Amino acid sequence: VTFSLDLVVLGPVLAPAAGALIVLVLDAVSRRVPALAHLAVAAVALALGLVATVPGLTQAAGDRRASFCLPSGDCLYAAGSVSSGLQLLGLGAAGVVLALAWRDWLGPERGPGGTAVQAVLLLSATAGVVAVVAARDLGTLLVSLELATLPTVGLVALERSRAREGRAVEGAVTLLTTSLVSFALLALGAALWVAATGSALLTPALAREASGDPARSGLLVLAAVLVFAGIGFKLSAAPFHSWTPLTYARAPLPVTTYLAGASKVAAAGALVVVVQALAGASDFALTALGLLAALSMTLGNMVALVQQDLVRLLAWSAVAQAGWVVLPLSVVSQRSGPAAAGYLTVYVLATLLAFAVVIATARGGAVTLEDHRGLGQRRPLVATALGLALLTLAGLPPAVIGLVAKVVALRPVAGEGVWWLAVVAALNVALGIAVYLRWLAAVVSRQPEDAGTFVAVVPRPERWTHRVVIGVLSLLLVAGSLAPVGLW
Amino acid sequence: MIELTGQTAVALAVLVPLVVATVLAVADRFSPQPHPAVSRPVAVGAALASAAATAYAVLSDGAVDLPWIPALGVRLDLAPDGISAPLLLLTALVGVVATAVPYTRPETDDGQDGSTAPLPAGPPGPPRSLATYYACLLVVLAGALLTFLARDAVVFFVGFELVLVPMWWLVARHGDATGRADRSGAAHRFVLFTATGSTLMLVGILALATRTGTTDLDAWERLGAAGGPGGQLAIAVVLLVGLAVKVPVWPLHTWLPWVHATAPTAGSVLLAAVLLKLGVYGMVRLVMGPLPEGFAQASPVLAGFAVVGIVWASLACLVEPDLKRLIAWSSIAHLGFVVLGLATGSATGLQAALFGNVAHGLVSALLFVVVGHLKHQWGGADLRTARAALREVTPRLGFALVAGMAAAMGLPGLAGFWGEIGAVLAAWSPGAGRTEGWFRVFAVLASLGAVLAVAYAARVLREVWSGDRTAPAIADVRGTSAVLVGVLVAAVVVLGVYPVALLELTEPAVTQLLGGATAGGAP
Repeated sequence: VTFSLDLVVLGPVLAPAAGALIVLVLDAVSRRVPALAHLAVAAVALALGLVATVPGLTQAAGDRRASFCLPSGDCLYAAGSVSSGLQLLGLGAAGVVLALAWRDWLGPERGPGGTAVQAVLLLSATAGVVAVVAARDLGTLLVSLELATLPTVGLVALERSRAREGRAVEGAVTLLTTSLVSFALLALGAALWVAATGSALLTPALAREASGDPARSGLLVLAAVLVFAGIGFKLSAAPFHSWTPLTYARAPLPVTTYLAGASKVAAAGALVVVVQALAGASDFALTALGLLAALSMTLGNMVALVQQDLVRLLAWSAVAQAGWVVLPLSVVSQRSGPAAAGYLTVYVLATLLAFAVVIATARGGAVTLEDHRGLGQRRPLVATALGLALLTLAGLPPAVIGLVAKVVALRPVAGEGVWWLAVVAALNVALGIAVYLRWLAAVVSRQPEDAGTFVAVVPRPERWTHRVVIGVLSLLLVAGSLAPVGLW
Repeated sequence: MIELTGQTAVALAVLVPLVVATVLAVADRFSPQPHPAVSRPVAVGAALASAAATAYAVLSDGAVDLPWIPALGVRLDLAPDGISAPLLLLTALVGVVATAVPYTRPETDDGQDGSTAPLPAGPPGPPRSLATYYACLLVVLAGALLTFLARDAVVFFVGFELVLVPMWWLVARHGDATGRADRSGAAHRFVLFTATGSTLMLVGILALATRTGTTDLDAWERLGAAGGPGGQLAIAVVLLVGLAVKVPVWPLHTWLPWVHATAPTAGSVLLAAVLLKLGVYGMVRLVMGPLPEGFAQASPVLAGFAVVGIVWASLACLVEPDLKRLIAWSSIAHLGFVVLGLATGSATGLQAALFGNVAHGLVSALLFVVVGHLKHQWGGADLRTARAALREVTPRLGFALVAGMAAAMGLPGLAGFWGEIGAVLAAWSPGAGRTEGWFRVFAVLASLGAVLAVAYAARVLREVWSGDRTAPAIADVRGTSAVLVGVLVAAVVVLGVYPVALLELTEPAVTQLLGGATAGGAP
């Protein structure tokens, strides 16, 4: 087999991968390389990756930047403008996580090479995230999806605080088990897909041909459903969500942020790739996706409504939001892929901001709703940023961007007249608002002025990295609310 | 120097309250917080400026048209027309009233609900975050103006949703219920009900947008039934259910009495006089114009619910012990007449509905200002408590209450009359495609509701206004409140005596809307 290979096109993937290699080499050359050097390499690698997505973003709609092209003209890697946007999002989310973890990872190491290992794991997972959204064949898809997942198991387990270490390992084991099950489903699905279409390439024409043949169409449906189930685990869509609250609550908070942000980009990107390859060849598989969406949002919102721990609340909200990402993909429409990507972008930005605030306000790990009561008075600026994030997730103005994201996600469903799904989604908007307003109500509530039992909490000075992250993400959401352009 | 054109006036009408609200809300986050003596005049000034700009925009037919979300084909297309102009003027007036109405502190402060905390010694200091309170009022005002001005369905929806969070804040933080749980319960109920409704409306909007390939409301009106009858009913039903929550139409009205009884006076005024109008306006713009056949098919059921609502709410008014809640129930009855008028599908009915909409806005604003003042003075609004007769102790307030209740009972010569009589007349001879028999039954039932309105208005006046008790004495309205009440009474009288001004303003637009619809509807 001969490939035509274009390394420049692969820049967004190669930059974090090369960064991982450099960190490994540095660590192998000398143990005395300071942690700061490893983190700096990681930051530069992510920044270079971000720069490398720019040509993909600016290309005209319909164009794509392809590599690993076969003589037949099919390419194993192709990034259109939507894929490039998702790559930008994944790299940006990884950058945010790096900034949030910066101080922790510079701290005293437990055992040799801690920081180097963490930097390598972060970079390699990110390389997987970036690759998966541009994958155009099952092999690349599977490998890059696992590359995006498995390093995060290590990140979850590498908790530096001795007190939380045991819990973190539990979370990592949960995540590992889930990943293995999900990989088994994906591999089985991929095998059936190859059996049904006769090719490992994800090309719409092949799927259409297979679905036209009665002997093969059943196989294709089974393959699609298995692949959806496998990806459903990574996306934490119900009924494959049960690892999410466990792992989110036990991982170090910056790593949870990674799972909630960059990892979701990989999963949603993979789903978009598969759905586009299916191109409406199977109504049944799409109905299954619709059910998945409806179940996820309903279950996620209902359980989030009673959570006291904010990380668990965000975990269940991630389940609900996964439903919203899947929603537009469940109908055959030109707009499905961009709609899912657009919704995902807004969700990731808002979730990163919410996590950044939770991390900035966390004292010793857990943060409950009670801890955030009166936050608006104690730390008005941070509380305003949190309010913006929550309103974006709820889809309420003044965070217009969240509202527009809901419009975009609902448009294919309402346009195709899938009324039952549209009505379930509409009711879930209200449920979601209840979830986020409950939090917001606690944040803006006033503390009793002179209640004797109230102990004034002296605000801990915020780290500059937290300030920068919160500021940048807030600015992005505000700008997006004023002029919602370029997301879909 | 920017020349004042219709275009800048439209932009200013929405931007001034938004910008001032942002400034107030930001200033409130820093210490020292702005004193209420600063933030109130600023807010009233912004509302006045916005009102002036709105009036100028309506008179000069100004319009703004800018691209906003190119990927969705959404344009920031703002322009008044015959249908929205009366509502814009109403909103502008009510915005000034709401910001100028004196703020009354919630009866119990946070953190002491049900506890045995000692009573605060001496008068309480100035309440905190009043700048945010005024900012919320201004955002509600801007959102309503944006909704009425929008000629694009997505912008319409954004304006529709913009009012939710500030209204939630107003009810949850500044509501006049006695407990925090009561306030936040009412606030949550408001947001959840109306958000469900508006998302259903969004589903309908998106379905229409996909059918027509545009979100331009003018284009929708022009296309009329161009999409064909198939599927019109489904979209119309989704839109009507969504909007019926906002109006509200029986049986989706359950959120309204509680929220109204809990909201601060300014919040109640805005809610009744402006926000409920958004629902009716949405029915005209999104359903009647673009989906004439679907609307015609759904209209008997809609009219039936409206009439049930009239009778139901009027009966509730006869027994409701809380005066503020009673006014809220009467709002449901009045909006029942408005929806009945819409459902008839005739020019008379639509005219009556638009008239009744504005009239109800003025009357309910008046009544809520009066009742808000009474509730504050009385320390509660329970009608079973013996109070001094308003006739004896507060003649000005008493007169305003009599005028408001008389208008609410539909007395000729006051604003409430024309909308109700028009709706009943239109129901007696409904427009094309409506079953006459059913609508005549509805007309009879609606008339029964009007009789009940006289009964409950008489009940209120008997319990509150007449009598000869003079204790416990309460203060009459004076200063700003008196001026506001006077202006609203005058508006109610003027609209009742000279309804032609308003009817002429809406007539061309009504003819165009129904003309376009029937022309499109004919095969």
